[in-house]
Amino acid sequence: MEELFANPALQAGVAPFLVALFVAIAFSRLRVGGLAAIAAFLVCFYLVTGIQFAPLTATRKILVLAIVAAAIGPLLDFALKPTRVGILLMAGGAAGGALWAFWPVILQKPGMQAWLFGGSAAIALAVMVGFAQAQLASDGVRAGAAVLALGLGVGIAAIFSASLTYGLYGIALGAGGGAFLLPQMIVGKKATAGATFTLPAMLIGGLVAVGAMLLAQLPWYCVLILALVPVMVRLPGPEKAPVWLQAIVFSLYGFVIAGVACALAWPSSPT
Amino acid sequence: MKSLVVGLIAAALPLATAAQMENYNIDGQHTFPYFELEHLGFAMLRGRFDKTAGKFSIDRAAKTGALEVVVQTASVTTGDNDRDGRPRTRDEHLRTPDFFNVAEFPTMTYRSTAVKFAGDNPDTIEGTLTLLGVTKPVALKVERWKCGPDTVRTQGKRFMCGGNAVGSFKRTDFGMKYGAPAVVGDEVKLWISFYGFRQ
Repeated sequence: MEELFANPALQAGVAPFLVALFVAIAFSRLRVGGLAAIAAFLVCFYLVTGIQFAPLTATRKILVLAIVAAAIGPLLDFALKPTRVGILLMAGGAAGGALWAFWPVILQKPGMQAWLFGGSAAIALAVMVGFAQAQLASDGVRAGAAVLALGLGVGIAAIFSASLTYGLYGIALGAGGGAFLLPQMIVGKKATAGATFTLPAMLIGGLVAVGAMLLAQLPWYCVLILALVPVMVRLPGPEKAPVWLQAIVFSLYGFVIAGVACALAWPSSPT
Repeated sequence: MKSLVVGLIAAALPLATAAQMENYNIDGQHTFPYFELEHLGFAMLRGRFDKTAGKFSIDRAAKTGALEVVVQTASVTTGDNDRDGRPRTRDEHLRTPDFFNVAEFPTMTYRSTAVKFAGDNPDTIEGTLTLLGVTKPVALKVERWKCGPDTVRTQGKRFMCGGNAVGSFKRTDFGMKYGAPAVVGDEVKLWISFYGFRQ
């Protein structure tokens, strides 16, 4: 049994997907099926490293921020209804969260590199969270496709960057995105994504990418390219086609840009 | 007058004790912590850290001592440093959050809490290892210990001590859980070869 739970395919694929699928279906009537993404991430985190908060490392700060985002998301959907200013605040908060999580590591980098890495982290998080909330939150299919592509892209790029742990976190997020998409594809009806889904999902995707950049070897420009996944998924598509076809097309949009980031993450230098 | 003499003797006693304490700086060029652990359940994998600094002190009369070793985690090497078509080498992987997380934890530190002697030589060092921000007790057994003038390099002008110490710990106790125990074993054996120059 212990060996089964130590299998990366179960840790990042099967278990997160099944739990996220359950959450997406069971909580859809309550309009919080979007918690599928955070559920997938938490399952993977628990299986890979265990849920602990001390010492508060950058990786554990990602966990803290993800949980906070999962609490804020439904609040925004049901009580506060984010305005344009609210979305800007969310984007700024995500950028601030990234800097908080990785500040000790950024400070250790030499001058220009610190600015480059810190700037890339802040911009990527602001774009991902802000754009997804403004443009994807109302469309469950596009939001699900963006998280599927972002999660898999971040995961594979992190593995290329030498961190399998971060790779598993990313892939689990992708599994959560897929689990959110699947019931929509089967039923043929779009679900509500809202900040419940997009805020924690984009925050986790962005922070895992930034972690792979600062703690492993993911190039900074790959993080910025991955930040374009939600933008790519917003491009015009077959709006009147069946939901399953829309899901496939929008996912492919996301995979194209995520694939570029993964290709660039593969190092060209010998060592 | 009598009380003055007694006072002076009492004041001088700590100085006399301190004079017994010999302080040594660790020779980074000849001090290497090696580690060994199971790989894929088949072979034992060995590696070492190339950059180590620290100091130790010993009081032969009182049979006490102290040790502090600081290891640069980014200097870890297992001999696999050629990508050879792979995205990253094993040594690069060891530096990521999967293992030593060197960007966040650039050093690991061993500090003694007690040194036990067997005869005239240190035998067991009790202390704590701080790795990945977690501090746990780890004991080291001094397998070899020799002190004397460095006749080869300094024609006896420099006095040094050298030897080997061994210990073991479970890496998961420090939060290093990646691949444990199926891919990379949990039990880590430490083997340290060290030299120190007397100050």
